[in-house]
Amino acid sequence: MSGPHEDARKLVTWSLSTFHASAFVLAIVLLLYSRGGLGPALGGLNTLFGLGLFVALWVTTYVTTSRALEGIDLLDPAVDRVRFLRRALRWGAANALAFLAVLGILFVAGAILTAPAGLMSLVFIGPFAVVIGAAVGAVVGTFFGLVDLALCALARAALVSET
Amino acid sequence: MQLDPHVLHLAIRWIHVAAMATAFGGAVMVLALSINTTPREGDAGLLDAATRYEWVFWAAAGVLAMTGIGNLATFGQGLPVPGTDWAAAFMAKLTAVIALVVFSIPRTLAVAGIRAGVAAPRQRERIRSLYGATAAAFAVILGLAVWLAHG
Repeated sequence: MSGPHEDARKLVTWSLSTFHASAFVLAIVLLLYSRGGLGPALGGLNTLFGLGLFVALWVTTYVTTSRALEGIDLLDPAVDRVRFLRRALRWGAANALAFLAVLGILFVAGAILTAPAGLMSLVFIGPFAVVIGAAVGAVVGTFFGLVDLALCALARAALVSET
Repeated sequence: MQLDPHVLHLAIRWIHVAAMATAFGGAVMVLALSINTTPREGDAGLLDAATRYEWVFWAAAGVLAMTGIGNLATFGQGLPVPGTDWAAAFMAKLTAVIALVVFSIPRTLAVAGIRAGVAAPRQRERIRSLYGATAAAFAVILGLAVWLAHG
């Protein structure tokens, strides 16, 4: 049976993971649109496939965020920030690799059904994608870790300040 | 069997509107509860409603982001280019949505903190301020959304 602390921890995990996935995607949409690249990007994407990719990112982000928060209470003013940021870096990279794995599975399935010869390109592109994906994921994870810590400080200030 | 793209886009739009109504309506409901319930009735019910709302809010936020992009996909190559009035309103809306998502984290953490027993004086006033700000942000985003759809 879960108590108030466990309920609060689950809510923090759910909110932070959804925040990370949504803010990441919305920031990319804003950046692409401001540079005029959103129309062509969306024009080449099947709508259901796009929705599925968002759900996949949401799921991998939830799993990796909950692992990153294991044993860490962000609501505690004495939270070990360095430990949390190390976790954010590591699990950010893991999230990117998990999402990349989903893309890889879809690519392989698509290639088997349509053009099996295309599978050879995966052998060449795969290692680069893994290295670049992990690096980008680590940077994005650390960035969100820093944002999370700042927002936690804001929440604590909101709780104790005079209204 | 091929899915009719018009049916798909209509379904996505309905889900988007339903998620927006849930998130906006929920914020207004918690705000109304914080105004209408008296301290004698206790803060436990209000805190319960706020906690439930936070779970729903984040589910709605994810669905809104997902279906919002699905709505944009309807435009495809015909998406208005930056530099137009529509583009300015769209970028303002998107910026407001990102700001709402970012500043909803302190609200959720504050509610989770109170729930976990963190001492917070004047809980009712704090909850009122947090949900008043959330409802106001939603009203601005809704205004921009209506302008984008019908303006």
